[in-house]
Amino acid sequence: MNIQQYEPIVGIPVIGQLRRLGERLKGLRVVHVNSTAEGGGVAEILAWMVPLMNDLGLDAHWRVISGTNEFFSVTKAIHNGLQGYSVLLKNRDWDVYQDVNRENVKALKDELEEADIVVIHDPQPAPLLELCTRRRGRWIWRCHIDASHPFRSVWKGLKPFVEKYDASIFSMCQFAQLLPHPQYLIAPSIDPLSEKNIDLDDHELDAVREQFDLNPGVPVLVQISRFDRFKDPVGVIEAYRMVKKMTPVQLVLAGGGATDDPEGKEVLDAVMEAAEGDPDIHVELLPPAAHRTVNALQRIADIVVQKSTREGFGLTVTEGLWKGKPVIGGDAGGIRLQVVDYHTGFLVMTPEGAANRIRFLLHHREQCRRMGRTGRELVREYYLLTRHLREYLTLMYALVGQKTEHTVMV
Amino acid sequence: MNPFDIMDCSLLIRMSGLPPAYNLRELRDRIAVCGPDVLYHHFCETPLSPTFEYPDHRNDFAVWATRRLSDKILAERLGAVDPYACPSMEGLREVVLEVIDERLSEVTMIPWARPGHEFYFMEATTLVFDSGERVRALRELPDAIGRMSNGSIYFHFLEAQRRQPVGMDDFSNWIRGFGKTGAPYVEALRRIDFYFYTLRELREELVRVLEPLRGKRS
Repeated sequence: MNIQQYEPIVGIPVIGQLRRLGERLKGLRVVHVNSTAEGGGVAEILAWMVPLMNDLGLDAHWRVISGTNEFFSVTKAIHNGLQGYSVLLKNRDWDVYQDVNRENVKALKDELEEADIVVIHDPQPAPLLELCTRRRGRWIWRCHIDASHPFRSVWKGLKPFVEKYDASIFSMCQFAQLLPHPQYLIAPSIDPLSEKNIDLDDHELDAVREQFDLNPGVPVLVQISRFDRFKDPVGVIEAYRMVKKMTPVQLVLAGGGATDDPEGKEVLDAVMEAAEGDPDIHVELLPPAAHRTVNALQRIADIVVQKSTREGFGLTVTEGLWKGKPVIGGDAGGIRLQVVDYHTGFLVMTPEGAANRIRFLLHHREQCRRMGRTGRELVREYYLLTRHLREYLTLMYALVGQKTEHTVMV
Repeated sequence: MNPFDIMDCSLLIRMSGLPPAYNLRELRDRIAVCGPDVLYHHFCETPLSPTFEYPDHRNDFAVWATRRLSDKILAERLGAVDPYACPSMEGLREVVLEVIDERLSEVTMIPWARPGHEFYFMEATTLVFDSGERVRALRELPDAIGRMSNGSIYFHFLEAQRRQPVGMDDFSNWIRGFGKTGAPYVEALRRIDFYFYTLRELREELVRVLEPLRGKRS
């Protein structure tokens, strides 16, 4: 994997800029830490970011902490709490949270303490900072979660672990919390050359159509997401049923489970129950490696749906836009940055709203195509990994040099 | 003639530390006390920010007024404020406060944003670095601009307006050193109404305007 491969997609100037930034950070030792090697947006980001940082001259590494089922239940509760869901965490839960990090630090301590930059992703590995007492580099807490209205007791419990960092990164300004260090804003991105986003030929699309028993003559709605209550898959089924009363349509709800998400099964059961008896609703729990299937489903879709009620950034929206599809998105989190009414899709708040917009788009095909083109260019400009990488490199330069003034001449 | 040094820049956005504004009165009060970099960010750095490319207005205050306060009158007035016509950020601040005060005197109820749609005040650090590339002759300039990153276009055409000589972009400043040969191009660049262009569009427009230079000997 190298940065040159992206030149035909983003252009010479973008690649040249990254190379120049890389030259100035040559040899910088960077360690990213998260809690899952596959499944979910964070692992997908790190899978390209680390090799590309290395290609640009940095010395970047990715480490994954391991944990017990109990640990992941606790961190899932923290995750839900940050997203505003009312959860009860007892002292013992916070002990489990710290104990697992204490176990993990044994293997990571030397590497983390020696690194120039350590990026800790999400709450799971956050306690590592205070366990690395001889750290010499700059530590960044990267919060990928919509923490705009955290459940107070959860934020109160987590804050002592994250406030000691040198900086934090949030995907959107709405997610930032009051912390005693600079809070930077870096939106995530997608990799246009990954299995999930690379161009596919028609044969592959036909095979997936067949696999999902989709009728090629009937419009397809697709929501790709984990089976998570905040993604509102049951609300999508409600919207689909309203549309189907008026016009033929098929619905695909597909998504993987992540190793750090024990709630998925519960939500999947609720979705199966809601979908029961309708052969045009296709619910599929995909394995983590089913990236090409996801890619094909998004390309097969007439409309991509992401009706989240809470959302970090919504990379599935970015993926849908990149494939030239209009997106019906929940009016939440980073979906608001990407879905602009009448330009790239529609923001909705209810199943009724989603149903109305779906019907409108199904009957205005030229508008669908125009939105698709606009969405793809929006992603090319702002939400591909090259922009993301540039902002990380800029942040690293600023942090290492301790620069906060408006204009820094390098 | 000295060569034109192509610089590049990258923007790093961060929270300003000011509390968000929930209504127009709070927006006014925060604008009155925010740092100049905050104003500059919301007026001038929007082309480099990862937001939708074609909003109705090019500054964040006008976009918020229209989308979140549903106050189109205020949005149109704020949208007409040209930050590049103001001599300084303090001058810009006065103009913006005047627009908001006028609107506050007209409305019977202060417009509020729905929860989750507050205005967040941000600022940025701009990392500027030498690209290592040089333009040595006028005829090389159109091609060089065509290859420039968005960061270079922003730095040399928009950010330059704030630097000495104030109100002039770096390309014009360099071209005018060629005397009569360059004069028509300085004038053509001055006529570009750049405020509503995305950086990609601006680059295309610069190349188009300077295209005839390809045939020049100097």
